[in-house]
Amino acid sequence: MFSTKKSLIAVAVAATMAAGSALAMSSSSGGKATEAAAGKTDGKWASNYREIIKESGGKYLDREVMEKILGKDVNSLRAKLDPNNPYSFEVDDAIDGGPHGNSQCKVPLAFTEVRDSAEKHEKADYVAYGYGKPIAESAIKPWEIDVNGDGDGFPILPDDKYMTVEKGGNVYVQFCGMCHGEFGEGAKGYLPLAVDEDLVTSDFRDPAPMKTIGNYWPYATTIFDYVRRAMPFWSPNSPAIGDAGYYGITAYLIQANGIPLDDNGRELDDEDKATPQVVMAANKYMKNQGNFFCDHRPITHNKRCMKDCPDYLVGDGAGDIHHYREARKLPDGTLQYNVNQRLHETPPGIGHKGF
Amino acid sequence: MTDKRVEEKVALPTEESRNQSRRAFLKGTAAVAGGVLFTKAASADYDPKKAVAPYAGKKEITEPLKDGPWRHRLGFGVRRYPYGQPTPEVSYIQRRTLEWLTPDSMASITMTPLQYLHGIITPNGLHFERFHGGAPSIKAKDHRLVIHGLVERPLIFTVDDLKRFPSISRIHFIECPANGAMEWKGVQLNSVQWTHGMMSCVEYTGVRLSDLLKEAGIKLDKARWIIPEGADASGMSRSIPLEIAMDDCYVAYAQNGEPLRREQGYPIRLVVPGCEANMWVKYLRRIKVSDVPLQHREETSKYTELMPDGTAQRFSWYMEPNSVITYPSPDFKMQGPGRYVVRGLAWSGRGKVAHVDVSFDGGRNWHEAHFTSPVLDKAWTRFEIEWDWDGSEAFLMSRVTDETGYVQPTMPEMRAVEGTNNVYHRTAMVTWRVHAWNSKNKGLVENVQY
Repeated sequence: MFSTKKSLIAVAVAATMAAGSALAMSSSSGGKATEAAAGKTDGKWASNYREIIKESGGKYLDREVMEKILGKDVNSLRAKLDPNNPYSFEVDDAIDGGPHGNSQCKVPLAFTEVRDSAEKHEKADYVAYGYGKPIAESAIKPWEIDVNGDGDGFPILPDDKYMTVEKGGNVYVQFCGMCHGEFGEGAKGYLPLAVDEDLVTSDFRDPAPMKTIGNYWPYATTIFDYVRRAMPFWSPNSPAIGDAGYYGITAYLIQANGIPLDDNGRELDDEDKATPQVVMAANKYMKNQGNFFCDHRPITHNKRCMKDCPDYLVGDGAGDIHHYREARKLPDGTLQYNVNQRLHETPPGIGHKGF
Repeated sequence: MTDKRVEEKVALPTEESRNQSRRAFLKGTAAVAGGVLFTKAASADYDPKKAVAPYAGKKEITEPLKDGPWRHRLGFGVRRYPYGQPTPEVSYIQRRTLEWLTPDSMASITMTPLQYLHGIITPNGLHFERFHGGAPSIKAKDHRLVIHGLVERPLIFTVDDLKRFPSISRIHFIECPANGAMEWKGVQLNSVQWTHGMMSCVEYTGVRLSDLLKEAGIKLDKARWIIPEGADASGMSRSIPLEIAMDDCYVAYAQNGEPLRREQGYPIRLVVPGCEANMWVKYLRRIKVSDVPLQHREETSKYTELMPDGTAQRFSWYMEPNSVITYPSPDFKMQGPGRYVVRGLAWSGRGKVAHVDVSFDGGRNWHEAHFTSPVLDKAWTRFEIEWDWDGSEAFLMSRVTDETGYVQPTMPEMRAVEGTNNVYHRTAMVTWRVHAWNSKNKGLVENVQY
C-alpha cells in the first residue's frame, strides 16, 4: 500500500519521538478494527471511536481519548499512514492512483465535528436563489488554467507548434535566467530550480537543504501549471511566451533537473519536442514523489501538567531551564539586536533593519 | 508571606475570582516557583482601607495640576479626516517587515504589531500582508466569480450578486503557516511582531461557500475537492477537501464592517476558518469543483513540511493551537519587582480555546490564566494572569489547550519529531526570559529557546 521508504521512515520518526518525549510506544500495523470496545489495544483501533469521542464531549485530540481509540500508540506516525486509522489524513493509494497518481489526503474520520458539520451542510435542503447567471463551460476556458497531477487541463497544440527542448532553453534564458540562473542554479536571492541536494539532515545546525524541482517536487505537471500561471514574475501568463513557450520552459527544467522519462533512465535531448506527453512521462519519475505523506498532525500529545512537571516537559526537555539559545547573529549581521532600546535607554525602535 | 500581601489579593475584582484559577487560590494553594510567589487569598469582602496598602510609602504629588493648551482652544472639526486616522502619537504602531526575508516587496510579508494590540480585533490597517504577486487594484464592478466543474450548472456572479445572498459574520484569526518560521533552529528575533505577527484576527462578512456550491448544484456524489483561484498576478490556488469547504468556509466581501482592503483580497476572498492563510484565496475569481486535487506549487513545492529524514508532509490544513504572552514580551522592560498583569493571545485552528496556562519557571509549574475576551471558535482569545515578580530571573511560557483536548507542545518535543527544516507550523511554546532586576540588563525581556 505504501512505498517501502515511507514506512521505514515512519518507524524512524516514531523512534525519535519515543526518545524525545519518553512516551510509551507500541508498534501498530494497519487494518480495520472488527470488535468494538471502549479501550482498544493489540495495535488496532476502536471502531466505536465516534461514541468514545462523543462521550468525551468532542475532545478527539485529548491524549486519554486517543489512547482509548488507538491504544498507547497515539504518537505513532506509522499508524497514521494507514488510511483506516481514524486519525489518518491518508487516502488509500488504490483510490488515488498509486504512488505516482494524483495523491489525495482527507480530513480524518476522528475529526467528527468537521465531518458532522460538513454532512449537515451537504444534506440540508437548499433552494437556489437565482442571483447568479448561468455560464457555458466554453466561456470559462480562458480562465481555466489549472493542470492537475493527472495531467488534466493541458492545452493541446497543433504538432508543428511544439518547440524543441533546446529552443525551450532559449526561452528560459530570455525570461527566467536572470532570476533563477541560466541552469536553474538561482540568482539574486531567488530560488534555485535545479540544485540536487540530499534532503536528509542529521544535525539541526546544518543549513536547510535546498528544495528544487529535481530533488523535491512530487509532480512535473506542477512546473507547467505554475510557470504558466505565475511566471515570469513581472508579467505572468505572458502571451510573449505562449503555451508552446511554457511547454519549452517546462521541458528545459525537466532536462536541467535530469528527470528520467522511462525505466531506462532516458533523459530529454535538445532535439526532443516539448509536449504534454513529455511532461506526463517525467511525471512518473519524480524521484521524491514517494516521500510525501499526508499531514499527520497533531504530532505530539502533550500533557496538561500543572505542578512539578516531569523533566521532559521542562526547559530543554531534560529539566534544565537555564539551557537555552539566545538570539545572537542575525541574517543581516546584527548581534543580539536592539538591547538598548529594549532597556529603554534609547527611544523605542523598530528592531534590526526592520522597516 | 506577609499579611499585607494577603490583603492585596483580597482586593481583586470579583469577576476575576470567578475563574477557575482563582478558585484554586481560594482552596488554599500556594506555590513558590522560580522566585515567583503566589499569595493565598483569604476572603473576598471589599474593604476600602485595603486600597491604601499598595500606595503606602509612595511620595504624594503636591504640585497643582495644570491645563494643557487644548483646554483653551478648539480642536479640529468634523470631516477633517473623512476616513479617520490613528492619532500621530501612535504612528510607531505599524505593520513591518524584515528586509532580509524576501528579495522583493511583491512576493513578501509584513507582520502585525501584536505587542501593541488590545482585545481580539486587528484594525484593518494593521492586518498583516502576504502577497505572492503584489496587491492588485481591482474594481468590484469588473470582478466576477465563476463556480464550475462538478456542478449541475456553471454560474457566474458579480460582487453585488453575492451581497444579495444570506450573509454570515464571524470573527476568525488568519495565520500564515510560516508564522514563527524564522525560529526553527533557535531564536533570532526579539519582538512578538517578528515571532508571531504573521497573523491577524478580524470579523469577516460574506456568503457561506456551501450555499454557493449548492446554488450551482454541486454533484456531491463525485465532488471531493474545490480548487479556488485568485485573479491576481500569482493566480493563487490551493486544493481544499470538500469536508472543509462544506464545514464553515465562506466567501467574504467585508472585513471589520467595511469592504475588504486590497491587501486582503478586495473585492472578495475565501475564508477558511482555522486553516492556513494561504488557502484563503484572495481576489477570488474561480472555484472549480473537482474529484482530484490540483497539486499546485503552493501545496507541493511550498507549504509542505520537510522532515529530518527527508520525507515531507503535504496537504497541511489546520493551524495548530498556539499561544503567546504579549506583555511582558521583548518590546517591554520590567519596571521593577511588583505585581504585573501578564497578558497574551491564544488561538486554535480546530475550535475554541479551553485553557491557557502560564509558567514563570520554564515549564516546571503552571497556573491557569483567565479569559478577558469572548471565547470564539477559531478566533484569538485574550488571557491574563496576575504575577507578583520578586525581581529574580524568570522564564515565562504560555500553553494553550483547545476544546479538542490538544495541549500545545514544548519546542524540544516539537523539534524531536519535526526537526528544524519544516519552515511551516512552528507552533510550539516560546519562552521569554526576564533578566533579574539586580543583573546588568535589569528587567530586560528576551526571547530564548529551549
